[in-house]
Amino acid sequence: MSDPRIERLARVVIGYSLGLKKGDLVLIQAPSLAEPLVVELVRAALDAGANPAVRFSLPGVDHAYLSEATEGHLRFLLPYAVDEMQALDARIAVHAASNTRELSEIEPAKLRTRQDTNRPVMETYMQRSAAGELVWCVTAYPCTAFAQDAGMSLKQYEDFVFRAGWLHLADPVAAWKDFSRKLHEIVDRLKDVRELRVLAVGTDLTVGVAGRTWIAADGDRNFPDGEVFTGPEETRTRGDVAFSFPAIFGGREVDGVRLRFEDGRVVKSEASAGQSLLQEMLSVDDGASVLGEFAIGTNYNVDRYTKQILFDEKIGGTFHMAVGAGYPETGSTNTSALHWDMVCDLRSGGEIQADGETIYRDGRFLPEFAPDLTPPAE
Amino acid sequence: MADPRLDTLASVLCGYSLEVAAGDLVLVEGPILAQPLFVSLAREITRRGAHPVMRPKSEDVTTAMLEWAGEEQLAYISPIDEWESMVPDKFLDIWAESNTRRLNGVPAGNQAIRRAARRPLTERFFERLARGESRWCGVTLPTEAQAQDAGMAYADYERFVYGAGHLDDPDPIAAWREVSRRQAKVAERLASVSTLRIVAEDTDLTIDVSGRPWVNADGHQNFPDGEVFTSPHENATSGHIAFTFDCPYDGREAAGVRLWFEDGRVVREEADRGLEFLREMLDMDEGARRLGEVAFGLNPEIQRATGSIAFDEKIGGTCHVALGMAFPEAAGTNSSGLHWDMVCDLRSGGEVYGDGELLARDGQFQ
Repeated sequence: MSDPRIERLARVVIGYSLGLKKGDLVLIQAPSLAEPLVVELVRAALDAGANPAVRFSLPGVDHAYLSEATEGHLRFLLPYAVDEMQALDARIAVHAASNTRELSEIEPAKLRTRQDTNRPVMETYMQRSAAGELVWCVTAYPCTAFAQDAGMSLKQYEDFVFRAGWLHLADPVAAWKDFSRKLHEIVDRLKDVRELRVLAVGTDLTVGVAGRTWIAADGDRNFPDGEVFTGPEETRTRGDVAFSFPAIFGGREVDGVRLRFEDGRVVKSEASAGQSLLQEMLSVDDGASVLGEFAIGTNYNVDRYTKQILFDEKIGGTFHMAVGAGYPETGSTNTSALHWDMVCDLRSGGEIQADGETIYRDGRFLPEFAPDLTPPAE
Repeated sequence: MADPRLDTLASVLCGYSLEVAAGDLVLVEGPILAQPLFVSLAREITRRGAHPVMRPKSEDVTTAMLEWAGEEQLAYISPIDEWESMVPDKFLDIWAESNTRRLNGVPAGNQAIRRAARRPLTERFFERLARGESRWCGVTLPTEAQAQDAGMAYADYERFVYGAGHLDDPDPIAAWREVSRRQAKVAERLASVSTLRIVAEDTDLTIDVSGRPWVNADGHQNFPDGEVFTSPHENATSGHIAFTFDCPYDGREAAGVRLWFEDGRVVREEADRGLEFLREMLDMDEGARRLGEVAFGLNPEIQRATGSIAFDEKIGGTCHVALGMAFPEAAGTNSSGLHWDMVCDLRSGGEVYGDGELLARDGQFQ
C-alpha cells in the first residue's frame, strides 16, 4: 500500500506551491528511489493540464562519471542546457539519495569546475525565476539515507518529513495559507529595517538590508518550507559568525565553520574539520565570499538538525545565510556559481536586533513584533 | 556485486556497436532497473573521452502518463524531446522490462495517439541515422520478467542472453566480426533478387525487393544481433502469412496473428488473442497496414522463442516482417508511427524463393 501522504505531498506541490496551469511544461528531476512520489507528481501535473517531463538520476552513475571525468568533460555543457532552462515553465527537484556520501572521494576541484561550467544555466534559471517566467519547487522524499544521517528509522523520518509539510492534516493547503499570512506580516515589519545584528555564542554579525526585499518562504519554492529571507547589501556585512551545525556541500561535512566579514567579504575562514573544502568553495569565484542570502527559519515542526539543508535552514529558532549567488528578486546583485547555506542555532540565548532594537530572542520573534508561528495541532 | 559481464557489454557496445569516439555526445535511455549497466556505461563512455547523457526512465511513470494524460497531453512533444532525439551523436536504448504486460491496463488507443504524434520526430531521427549523422543501438538486458516469458530460470536466461551476444567469448568483438562476414554473404545473395516468395505453414507471401539494399545487422544497431533486412516496395506485397510466435509490442501482445495482403496493404487480419489491440495498431495511420521491413534471422545461438521480439526475430532459421515504418537506409519510404515486427518460423519445411529459385530450405540459406 502506498502512503497517502505521498499523494498529498504531490497535490500540494503541484496545486499550491507551483500552481501549474494547462499547457505548462514542468521538468521533474529526482533520484530513481523517489519513483513513488514522481508517479504522484506526474498524475497531479496531468490533472492540472500540464505537460510533465521526468528526469531521473541513478545511484553510482554520477560517481562513475566524476571518477573518470577530465577537465574537458567538466568544462562541457550540454548544447541545449541553457535553451532547456529557457523552455521550462516550471521545475521540481526532488531531494533524496541512496547514499549521501556518494561523492565524498571526488576531488573538490572537480565539483567546483562542474559548478562553474553550469553557471550560464544557473543564471538563466535565477533570471527567469526573478522575472516570474519560471516557477520552481524543491521538495524531499523520505529515504533511508537521509533517515540514517538524521539518526532516525525510516518510519520516524517519514513522520518528521510529512509533519514538516503538515501533510498529516486533512487540509494541508489551508494550514499553509494561514502560515503564509503570518510570514507576510513579519516581512512587512522587516522591510523598513536598515541593519540587522545577530548575537549568539561566537557570533556578533551585522548585515545591511536597507532597501532590500524580504520574501516570505511559505511553501512555494521549497516544500516543506518556513523562513523569511533577503539578499543583504554586498559590501556591508561585518563581524563574526560561528555556525552551530556542520555545513554540508556535495555530501561532505565541514564542521565548526567560523567566518569573519569585513566590508561584505569573508576575510577569515576557519573550520574544525573540512577546512580545505571550505576554502576551495569560497574561492570558486569573486562572489563566493560575499553573502547572497540572510534568513530566519520559522518552521517549528522542523525541530532538529537532520543534515539536510532543505530542512535545517527551516528549523524554527535558527538563522542561516548563504555565501555565493543571491536571489535577484531580493535586490541582491551578488553572482556566483556557489550558493552554500550555513545554519546557526539561536534557541539558547540567541538574539536579533533591528536597527538597535531587539526583535527576536531565544529562537522566537518577540510577540510585539510578530504573530505566533506555532504549527497547527493534529 | 555488479556482474563483470556488464563491463564487457559496455565495452563492446561503446567499442564495436556505437564506436564511441572522443567528443561524442552519447544519450543512454533505459529503465531504472538497468542501473548497473548505466554505471558501467557512464564509466566506459567517459573513459573514451565522450560525454554521457543518462536518461533512465520509470516504467511506472510511463504507465501513469499513458493512463492519465488527455489527448492533447498524449500528443504533446516538448522541446526537450526534440533536442534529445536530434542533438546527440550516439544513442543507446537499454531494453529491460520488470513486467512485460505492464501496459495491459492502459487504453490501447492512448498508445496509438502517442505513437502517431511522435511519428515526425521518429522519422527525422531515422533520417539522421540513415545519413550517417548519428548512430543508434538497442541492447537487451536480462530481467526476471523476460526470463519468465521465456519459460526459463533467470540464471539460464542470463546465460542465453549473454551467450547470444558472445560476451563469454575471450574476444567478443572478434566473434562479431566473424558473424558479420558470414551474414554479408547472405545479404549479397539477396541483393540480386527482385521478387521474394516465402512459403511455410499457412504462409505464401510474395514481396518485391528489387533495387532495395539489404542491411547486414551484425551487432551495430541491435545487441545481440543477427539478421539481414531490407524495406520492401510499399505497394507490391501480396498473399498471406501466419506468424508462429507471439507478437509482443509496446508492453502488450497479440498471438496467432495471420495477415492477408493485397497491393502492399493488409486487407484482412486475424488473431487468436489480442485482435482488438492488433486492429487498433493497424488503424493508427495509413502506413501501419503496409510492410516497412522484411528480414531473415541468422543467429545460430538463438534457437528458441522467448517472447522477446529482440531475440525471436534473430532466431537462426526464421523470417520476420514489420508493419509500419520503413528504414531509409534500406530505401524504404513507408511512413508510420508503428514498427511492429512479427516472426514466422521456417525451420520445419519453410522455403524462400528468389525470382523463382530456391534460396533457403528449413530456414538455412544454401
